[in-house]
Amino acid sequence: MPASVLEAHAKPETRKAIRCVDCDIHQFGPGKSDMLKHLPKAWHERYGTGAGTGHLGFHNPVGVTRRDCVSADGKHGAASPKGLAEHLLDPYEIDIGILTGGVYNMGVHPDPDYADAVCSAYNAAVLETWIPEDDRLRFALSISTRDAALTAKEIRRHAGHPKVVAAIAGSACTSPLGQRQFLPIMEACEETGLPLMLHPGAEGTGICPPPTACGYPTRYLEWHTDIIQSFQTHVVSLVCEGVFQKFPKLKVVLVEGGISWLVPLMWRFDKNWKALRSTVPWLDRKPSEVIQEHFLLTTQPIEEPDNHEHLIQLFNMFDAKNMLMFASDFPHWDGDTPNFALRGFPDEFKQRVKAQNAIDLFRLQSESPLRNAKS
Amino acid sequence: MLAAASKTRHEVAKVEELPSGSSKIIQAGRREIGVFNVNGTYRAVLNICPHELAPVCKGHVKGTNVPSQPGEYKWGLEGEVLQCPWHGWEFNLNDGKSLHEPHRCHLRTFETEVSEGMVYVLV
Repeated sequence: MPASVLEAHAKPETRKAIRCVDCDIHQFGPGKSDMLKHLPKAWHERYGTGAGTGHLGFHNPVGVTRRDCVSADGKHGAASPKGLAEHLLDPYEIDIGILTGGVYNMGVHPDPDYADAVCSAYNAAVLETWIPEDDRLRFALSISTRDAALTAKEIRRHAGHPKVVAAIAGSACTSPLGQRQFLPIMEACEETGLPLMLHPGAEGTGICPPPTACGYPTRYLEWHTDIIQSFQTHVVSLVCEGVFQKFPKLKVVLVEGGISWLVPLMWRFDKNWKALRSTVPWLDRKPSEVIQEHFLLTTQPIEEPDNHEHLIQLFNMFDAKNMLMFASDFPHWDGDTPNFALRGFPDEFKQRVKAQNAIDLFRLQSESPLRNAKS
Repeated sequence: MLAAASKTRHEVAKVEELPSGSSKIIQAGRREIGVFNVNGTYRAVLNICPHELAPVCKGHVKGTNVPSQPGEYKWGLEGEVLQCPWHGWEFNLNDGKSLHEPHRCHLRTFETEVSEGMVYVLV
């Protein structure tokens, strides 16, 4: 049943306008036992050994997870739906929060069957253990880009669930995402109406190419600054390969890559296209037009130039008002609050970025159910 | 001192309750202030990070790699650096100044005093 029908049946007195949507919340879990419940027995031993895609050895002295949001029971704020309510949704008045998890490294795991099995178990477990616990929660399915046919099945399997609003893959990937081996994923997303979200994090691990075009940097600071290279590669690839000509309704959301790199890339891309158009003859308009029609970006980690006015000027250089969506990245070390991310912008811009763009993209109802987490 | 005369004294803790390396967050009027025993000296800072207004005093107190030549790492300021729990910005508790941009980014500091076995902050 489509979300619109289910939500229409919610009691009218429990509804309120959606004023803030958080597009990137990293809940902890599901826990191991919930994962094993949904993982075929064939993979239990492997999962039990913690078989992921390895660790590059980079060190973040801040710690990736915020340390100050711990509930009275000693549990971290991201460890349960109640914790999320207490430390994120309630204090920042977030009406809809999209859980993005996830298992992004499964896009660069050497074994596509294992990657698919882990994503499937993860999705089933989150839908079972997290999503029913708070009416404000929505879910972005975690998907692997390793075997596009398997992934397309996984997308279609859950697409009818009323709380599933997107599919999210790691931007760490074996090849540029516009290439034809990935088309079944794009097809499934378009067919089901689910936007494809991309999220960094596993760059350089597993069978991913090095995290930068010049190999492996020395430290976390460099890695974290450089990994938008994968976003840039995917954007250029998706446009050049004609993916949006094949799937004109497909939308792609770039999550947690910041914003400031986009404009110079579009200028450079347009200039090159004018001369080299004949190598992509299906591209019938400027790349920047295609980008602004099909891509959205989440705000976090919002750039912080010394002169805040410069950021506002930057937002006048592309269709930021319709392309940006707020994200907190809770509970990570580089997260943003809604007021901070949107300070200094006109009210209409704020309203679109804080809620309306997400409402439109994810087809959220303009009213949301009760605020409270279930006790 | 004129300024000092107009300040209000807020009780923090007994001296024995605030040993070296420990801290306490108190409510001083409408302000939350973190008071830290930094190697025997009491330092007080407003519990607001100038970045995104996080409760900075809930962060870790630690040492850090102080400015040095390329390729050289010099650990210093042990127990004197407060690291914000949100984004990891480091502040020197001795003067409230940030490690990354001490000339323009700092915590608000307050005077402290000890009187008859009690630690106070002056606001």
